[in-house]
Amino acid sequence: MTKHLLKSTVAAVMLVSSAGLASTEEVKISVWSGGTSPNDIYRVDAIDIAADLLEREAAVRGEDLQITVEKKPTNTWDDFKQAVTLAAEAGNAPNILVTGHEDIAPWAQAGLIVPIEDYVNLDAWPINDIYENLLEISSYGGVLYGLPQDAEARPFFFWKDYMRQIGYLDADIDALPDKVQSGEYTLANVLEDAKKMVDQGLVQQGYGFYPRPNNGPDYWQFYKSFGGVMEEDGKLVLDKAAMQKFYQFFVDAVNAGVTRKNHIGTPNDQWWAEVASGKAGIWHGGTWHYARYVNQEGLKDFFGSVAFSLIPAGDGGEPNTLTHPLVYLLTSGHDERATAIAADLVKIASEPRINALHAVKSAHLGITKQESNIDIYADDRWTREATERLLPYANAMPNNADFGTYWNAMWSGLEASWTGQKTPEQAVNDLEAELKNGLGEAIVIR
Amino acid sequence: MSASRDIVESGPARIGTRAAPARPRFAWLNSSKGLGLVLIMPALLLVIAFFLAPVILTGVFAFTNMSTATGITGGAYQISPGALRVLTDRYGMGELAERLGQPTYVVDEQGLAALAEMEIDQDIIDGLKRRLGETFSSRRDFERVIRDLPTRPNTRTVKRISDAFSRSLANARFASAGALMSAAEAIDPELTDDEKAALREATYTGWSWTTDNFRRLITSPQTMRILFNTIFFVAATLLIFNTGFAMLLAIATHYIPDRPAGIFRIIWFLPRISPAVIYVLLWKWLAWDTGFLSAFLDNFGIRPRNWMLDSAFNAWVFVILINGFVGASMGMLIFASAIKAIPQSLFHAASVDGAYRWQQIRHIILPHLKWPILFVTCYQTLSLLTSIEQTLLSTDGGPGGATEIWSLAIYHTALNNYAGNLQYGYGAAMALVLVVIGIVLSLLYLRLFNYRALIIKPRIEH
Repeated sequence: MTKHLLKSTVAAVMLVSSAGLASTEEVKISVWSGGTSPNDIYRVDAIDIAADLLEREAAVRGEDLQITVEKKPTNTWDDFKQAVTLAAEAGNAPNILVTGHEDIAPWAQAGLIVPIEDYVNLDAWPINDIYENLLEISSYGGVLYGLPQDAEARPFFFWKDYMRQIGYLDADIDALPDKVQSGEYTLANVLEDAKKMVDQGLVQQGYGFYPRPNNGPDYWQFYKSFGGVMEEDGKLVLDKAAMQKFYQFFVDAVNAGVTRKNHIGTPNDQWWAEVASGKAGIWHGGTWHYARYVNQEGLKDFFGSVAFSLIPAGDGGEPNTLTHPLVYLLTSGHDERATAIAADLVKIASEPRINALHAVKSAHLGITKQESNIDIYADDRWTREATERLLPYANAMPNNADFGTYWNAMWSGLEASWTGQKTPEQAVNDLEAELKNGLGEAIVIR
Repeated sequence: MSASRDIVESGPARIGTRAAPARPRFAWLNSSKGLGLVLIMPALLLVIAFFLAPVILTGVFAFTNMSTATGITGGAYQISPGALRVLTDRYGMGELAERLGQPTYVVDEQGLAALAEMEIDQDIIDGLKRRLGETFSSRRDFERVIRDLPTRPNTRTVKRISDAFSRSLANARFASAGALMSAAEAIDPELTDDEKAALREATYTGWSWTTDNFRRLITSPQTMRILFNTIFFVAATLLIFNTGFAMLLAIATHYIPDRPAGIFRIIWFLPRISPAVIYVLLWKWLAWDTGFLSAFLDNFGIRPRNWMLDSAFNAWVFVILINGFVGASMGMLIFASAIKAIPQSLFHAASVDGAYRWQQIRHIILPHLKWPILFVTCYQTLSLLTSIEQTLLSTDGGPGGATEIWSLAIYHTALNNYAGNLQYGYGAAMALVLVVIGIVLSLLYLRLFNYRALIIKPRIEH
């Protein structure tokens, strides 16, 4: 007995000391994320949580892994993209990036990112639960580059009180999302209703339809509403007729006095505050704006005050919305081990329970099917309704290295016609010339 | 340098072996030319680092198609979807593109041999052998098969195995053309020379030399507009504020007592010494639709609006005011000190002769200010041409590109792209145009004001 005790003690001591001797592996993982306001902090915090889990997994296997996560959230996009591209050029890119999916194409070409599918088992939990279309958006040329970090949609909002005052019954307002979806209520109706609101003095002139005040993916939705196509068979497409109708819509809105001619450039803070306090009649935004309205802008009774729908169809198009998933990307230039650990962290961070924290806190939509079975997500009325009403109709922008040039040119054309510097026709002709000039054969013009 | 050499040669004889080399080595410092060179060296290095190098780099970048996607340091060869499209569209090699670019995993002898070399478990190799000849079009499907083998390998090994069976180059990246060619030949041993050349060309991700930027610049409808905006901006700000208003301030403060004049000048200095961000923010508070101007005019029944971006005219007024108030102070300071340097006796004599103030200004002050006016005009033209921060922060080129000036357009092209693909090459071409305009203008000014006549030749050291 004593002998046995002695033996086992020696064994235990040896085990403990050998465990102590097992060298500690210390890994530093840096993660940078763009467009991250305080509501979106789980974009980087999820990596922290994942690091804890991965350390425990390693400990269970008998390895001592110490991960230090360096987080750098940036509130804006311009600064973030400049920082990333310049840091990468200097060889200082972080291990993990959280950015828009449209960066995959140029950054893959630049050799700045490496495909995540080289590191993770695509059939393992939770990747096998991520929506297939989101994985597609995170791929380029059939290769999965990143994992989606969140999904969203961009709804149209209506201030219910004013809708009532221009003659809508409560039942009409409730039926509105369906009417938009069926194409019965169109962008032409939006202008009519906005005009009524202005004419009746419910809102000030220029506040009938109060769109996003700066450049963003949102504006592609209107192009789509008028039947525009962004990309076909891997080639960018400019549909001149659709583009012109889309420009014309905003010009009409300005001429009708429902949208301000000088609206572009209004600070975001002002825009959020105004739409959340009923200064505007109809506007559009993103699902995550809900968090802003409710948390920061003090809109207590969101569902009582605001109705939401898809972006209505215009002439020749369909109602739609746009999802612009952010993705976790792995950068090149680090040692294999660190990148493999970064990949594991991204995988774990996509765990439905962890992702649900981000989805609910920031009012984004979930990336995995199982999130609907997690109480915090399912109990949230906004994420539930928005997922059902919007996500099935969501399009995404193409992953195409030349899309940025197209986008910049599209925006300057819109800006020029909106502010009356050019007629829509002129703006589209200039846009065509600009794109032919800059992109050549990479864009189809029709 | 010949002078310094003479000194070395005729220097005193060596005293000790240790001290000897020191003297001849630094003796050239005894010449004022040599010493001057040393003294100017720090400045010269700064000029090279912060002026010449950027200009040369801009010149080099301008003749490339550099962007984030191409990188600056060099490229690789990647079978990306874009490259495949070029291969199909430009070279009509759609079939080759299909063969190389479609992800394909084939269980073949070659792969099995590779596994054996990698010392993969024999059970796994045997398991895969049973599926010999099967083809998979997605990595996921093939890895599923590997994982279903009786001995399930870990993820890292699965990746290595699937790599060994990959028979396409979808998104594959090669550091050199040679590596690309040998990989392509492994898939298709019968590549023709034409196909190889096309492949090399289409898949190269790095930048290449091109004059396309300038062609694009000349044919773009935007260019004329931005150029006109820039000329208008520089001319208006320069005439109204940087020289005109500055002169007015200088002359006005010349005729008022010293102490109030000093206070007055300090007030006009505030825009220059306050940080640009805060300075512009104050203008925004003044001009925005929730700002001071709107709130004040609301009392008179004028609807609040964003005064700064209300119309192109308003935007220009603000841009010129914002930039002009900053620029005026410098002209004011230089003109005021130049007026101070005019001998007082001239003014007294003029007063005795009964000259009016205007006549004093016309016949005494202005003729003495020729050189300062040249300097301020020259300096401010160049500084306005490249000025960006106030306009960026206030209108950002709006509304609708109405106040988009050249420097801002460079920034928007080279450092601002919503989809993460910054256009360095095109931006540099635009910047180069600015550099050329700047140099041409400087030469023109020097000629116009007859620079030679303005400087007195030194009377020593011919």
